[in-house]
Amino acid sequence: MLVKRVLVVGGGTAGWMTAAALSNKFRGSPLEIRLIESAEIGTVGVGEATVPHIRHYNATLGFDEAEFLAATKGTFKLGIEFRNWGRLGDSYIHPFGAFGQDFAGVPFHQHWLRMRGKPGVAAFEDFSLPVQAARRGRFHHPSADPASLLNTFNYAYQFDAGLYAKFLRAYAEARGVVRQEGKVVHVSQHGETGFVEAVTLDSGERIEADLFVDCSGFRGLLIEQTLGAGYEEWTHWLPCDRAIALPCPNDGPPPPLTRSTAQKSGWVWKIPLQHRCGNGHVYSSNFISDDGALETLLGAIAAPPLADPNKLRFVTGKRKRQWVGNVVAIGLSSGFLEPLESTSIHLIQLAIGRLLDFFPTGEWDPLDAEEFNRVMVLEYERVRDFLILHYNATERDDSEFWNYCRTMDLPDSLRYKMELFRERGVVVNYRDGMFLEPSWLAVYLGQNVLPNAHDPLSERLSDDDLMAAMADLRARYAAAAEAMPAHLDALAAAA
Amino acid sequence: MAIRRIVILGGGVAGWMSALALGRALAGCAIAIDLVETEGPDHSIGPFGPGESTLPAFHKFLGDEGVDEDALLRASRGTFALGAAFSGWADRQSAWFLPFGDIGVGMGTVAFSPLVARLRAAGHPVRPTDFSLAAVAAAAGRFARPSLDRRSVLSSYGYGLHLDKAGFAGMCRTQASGVTHHAAPFARAIRVANGHVSALELVGGEQVPGDLFLDCSGPAALLCEAHGFESWSAWLACDRVVERATQQEGIPPPYTHAAAHPAGWLRSVPLAGGPSEAMVFASAHHSDTAAIEIHQGRRTRAWHGNVIAIGAAAALVEPLYGHNLHLVHSAIQRLVTLFPTRADGPEAAEYNRITAEEADRVRDFVIAHYKTNARTGEPFWDAARAMSVPDTLQYKLDLYASRGRMPMYDEELFDRAEWIAMLDGQGLHPRRYDALADTIPEPAIIQHVTRLREMIVDAAKAMPNHGATLAQIGAGA
Repeated sequence: MLVKRVLVVGGGTAGWMTAAALSNKFRGSPLEIRLIESAEIGTVGVGEATVPHIRHYNATLGFDEAEFLAATKGTFKLGIEFRNWGRLGDSYIHPFGAFGQDFAGVPFHQHWLRMRGKPGVAAFEDFSLPVQAARRGRFHHPSADPASLLNTFNYAYQFDAGLYAKFLRAYAEARGVVRQEGKVVHVSQHGETGFVEAVTLDSGERIEADLFVDCSGFRGLLIEQTLGAGYEEWTHWLPCDRAIALPCPNDGPPPPLTRSTAQKSGWVWKIPLQHRCGNGHVYSSNFISDDGALETLLGAIAAPPLADPNKLRFVTGKRKRQWVGNVVAIGLSSGFLEPLESTSIHLIQLAIGRLLDFFPTGEWDPLDAEEFNRVMVLEYERVRDFLILHYNATERDDSEFWNYCRTMDLPDSLRYKMELFRERGVVVNYRDGMFLEPSWLAVYLGQNVLPNAHDPLSERLSDDDLMAAMADLRARYAAAAEAMPAHLDALAAAA
Repeated sequence: MAIRRIVILGGGVAGWMSALALGRALAGCAIAIDLVETEGPDHSIGPFGPGESTLPAFHKFLGDEGVDEDALLRASRGTFALGAAFSGWADRQSAWFLPFGDIGVGMGTVAFSPLVARLRAAGHPVRPTDFSLAAVAAAAGRFARPSLDRRSVLSSYGYGLHLDKAGFAGMCRTQASGVTHHAAPFARAIRVANGHVSALELVGGEQVPGDLFLDCSGPAALLCEAHGFESWSAWLACDRVVERATQQEGIPPPYTHAAAHPAGWLRSVPLAGGPSEAMVFASAHHSDTAAIEIHQGRRTRAWHGNVIAIGAAAALVEPLYGHNLHLVHSAIQRLVTLFPTRADGPEAAEYNRITAEEADRVRDFVIAHYKTNARTGEPFWDAARAMSVPDTLQYKLDLYASRGRMPMYDEELFDRAEWIAMLDGQGLHPRRYDALADTIPEPAIIQHVTRLREMIVDAAKAMPNHGATLAQIGAGA
């Protein structure tokens, strides 16, 4: 075995997700997995909301949903509501699911674009079951039956990331992962290869390993501070650089969705859990002071805070190389994309999957790292573009922050996608990248990026036929949403 | 200006497929479709013999366009395809098969190919296609359509068709509705000041005006002077083809065959009554006065101005597989998705981006067959082995050689399993395999593959003979 010992540096969500997955996949192999974490160093854990892929991770590890929800105080999530993004007063939901269904071989949104504005034509969101359920505060598990309307969506969770890490820790330790308390004070490298050989803890203990997973957070203890992988900044596209997190009690039954409300110089998240509500303000220090940002947050939350504000600083971007030598960066050490679309945990999960695919074996071949880096760069860039769309597609001109975002230069990879959509509603598809057509549609249309024309092939159907089909579909979505239990009842039933 | 009139140039397979599909997609849109013939044989998807093979995804075209598969088989001397057989591509004695469908089944999250590598490393000789029902049935000359029951081993494979191009084009023509067919052949294009084509003039002087023109005229690409051409001759040295049709009795095999020879290869597409053949070779190493000259490569821009090249007019890649029909199908689908609201909108750029990537990935797949050959001592093959290949392909070859992993790009036609099966067939074995394969005990793997093999052999034995299946639907005679 080339790699006999893996050392995960850092606990938190990234560290424990990695350790748990490795301990599961390498069950029955002599691979030793250790994790170092320090109680002194807090974990960031802003990523309390997830995307549906998390269910695949949980299923692979064999988690029981009820047990997981109970342990993490989790709730169900059907999407994200965006308020005040395109214009003040706007609200749309980016759901985990499709909009409408194709008629006459033409995508639904093309028909909707053709009919919109005509009397009696409903809003785009009326044609999404998860949106309709979320608006009503209702939830039901999707159905596996492709003929069912309940087959048109997916769901994720909102949970306490600290409790999730604890849950994963118990799982990993039960499978032989050794946790070590301590702070890394020194890193030893091989004189010629630069490979990391060992870390020394504040206790003086030296821990050797063959492969190191850097889950140390923003600073990138191994990947950056030791190996100098370099960082590509994206602050000119994603200018937010600070966040304040502040939990408060729920102000009512928790809805099955995360909310993001745009502010003058950033946005405020609201993530309902079973026992409390996570809140935070992500903002740009170029446009608002820390005190101003805290004031904004306090004004936006529903109830008095339950804890002191947790202040974070970050630089949006990604590590130029996320795998260097025998060090693989997973989590915030690999890059930071703000939590606007709950992608942090997903990017962790992707990196773990790719690490398993390219787990060093036989010989150290730099191609393992090269392919890992190639795929992760694509994923990061595509998430980045999707996030930039939220900031750029706005008509808001009520602050310097929005004036900047509205008029900033875009990456070419995003600009041409937006041009094609503006022209005639075509969404560009690709192989690697987590956001698919319905996601792009939700944000484009939710933020008033409206095409100049629709697909001419929609004209195959007459106005009357299309109106009737759309009215029928809308009624079916409404009825299906109405028939679902309230979110809390669904949670209770799942427990 | 909105698109009101579409003119298709070329009454071959590519032209009539386009006419059929667009006619159906645009029904009710008040868009007129004209089809103008060109002179000469149907080379719209290349001059590779009277027959053509399809890939499994082609069923979607037939289904969408309402073409009955049984009727098509009867009308086009059709037979079934379970994959493609290659002989002499590694060393001269080598033979391997690329099946349509699954090759083996992984264990847990460990895929089948690392399990194979693990068994090989332990000294067990394993041929992955022994665990493919399509490959085993093809070798036994058996064929039945797959089952829709996903739990059944009979759902583990797909199939393509072998068709006589003329029969297939005729069927598309019969079913195409609302298409105005002009019998007088094309004489010249009439262009307006901005370079756009305004009409096609026919022999005899009649003019067919249009807003959008599809050039389905084959390698001649009669409307595409300004589209640019990217030649692939540095990688695909074959530049001549001799087409022939052979009469032959007996039951045709359910697969296409590509037999390498010292200066190229011989394609055999089995049809009822005898195979369609094409001798594809490099003029630098062989000559034949009957040969047709070909230039492998693609249009730099498939869509330029108001002309879209489809079929061999857009890209010509020697037909080791049934990709040429697939590229036509995919082009039409793309055109329908990106159907322009006016002739000079932004759709062309996106259309061209995808078209180019798709063609380049097919190109890479075909080049890999040459690059990895093991026919030493033959100048044609020695040169192919020594050539440098596109970076996109070299990266794939390197990563595969290192650890059996296959990076995939956007717009790949051949999937990961097909890439791996092809390179494995060519005798390339990765230096390493996935670490996770070592977590499964060897006896468990052996038990797993033994059971798989039994299941596949039993399933193949229970399948009817290819000839019997054809006879049942009234085809094959």
